[in-house]
Amino acid sequence: MELEALKEIDSEVRALGAQIVVLTPELERYTRALHRKLNLPFDILTDLHLKTAEQFRLVFTFPDYLRELYQSFGSTLDRFHDESEYRLPIPARYIVDSNSLIRAADVNADYTIRPEPSETLRLLKEILQTGTSPHGNQRSSTGEDDRR
Amino acid sequence: MSNLNYRLQEFKTTFESGAPPYNASPEVVAVMHRATAELKASGIEGRALRVGDHAPAFALFNQDHVEVSSKDLLRKAPIVVSVFRGHW
Repeated sequence: MELEALKEIDSEVRALGAQIVVLTPELERYTRALHRKLNLPFDILTDLHLKTAEQFRLVFTFPDYLRELYQSFGSTLDRFHDESEYRLPIPARYIVDSNSLIRAADVNADYTIRPEPSETLRLLKEILQTGTSPHGNQRSSTGEDDRR
Repeated sequence: MSNLNYRLQEFKTTFESGAPPYNASPEVVAVMHRATAELKASGIEGRALRVGDHAPAFALFNQDHVEVSSKDLLRKAPIVVSVFRGHW
């Protein structure tokens, strides 16, 4: 659902001179299938063994009870991600400028809530217009900034 | 304009109701709620990189096994980097 929603804003993002890229721990054989199935206009990059997600500090390890549940569903992360430890990134979306500086950030430990693409587009326009003041939206379930 | 979170919440409501094709039991739903609550309580959101930090450099393979580096991508900056768990 999230990738399809990003696809909907892709042409507007490109028109602004920007681009979307998706990082996932999934192996290339799965990203290839997903990319074709959804006919995506942007790349999905395989962040093998979560090396980059670790640097963004987004990685967590499943507790045993959750690993067992996912295995019972057939969601075997060791197969999809070559990830025997059952680690995942929390969902996140960043806007990064040409100086590699993070200008907008939206992370949420609740995987059922994702950054809204329309909000990403709005922030992107704002960043391009002002060129200055960074924006952040570190959400908690209450929508408050709980980072400091 | 899309409303992704509306769609996500619709899906969540269906899933948690135990409706087919997922047929999630109340026990399964409780386990998933517990896991999310524990993860939130772990403070992981507060440790993630934030506005003003430098994004890490990377060079990763795309779906066609072409290596794409953050350096290449940043020529068409700003870039929207979305981190996604997986298709399953």
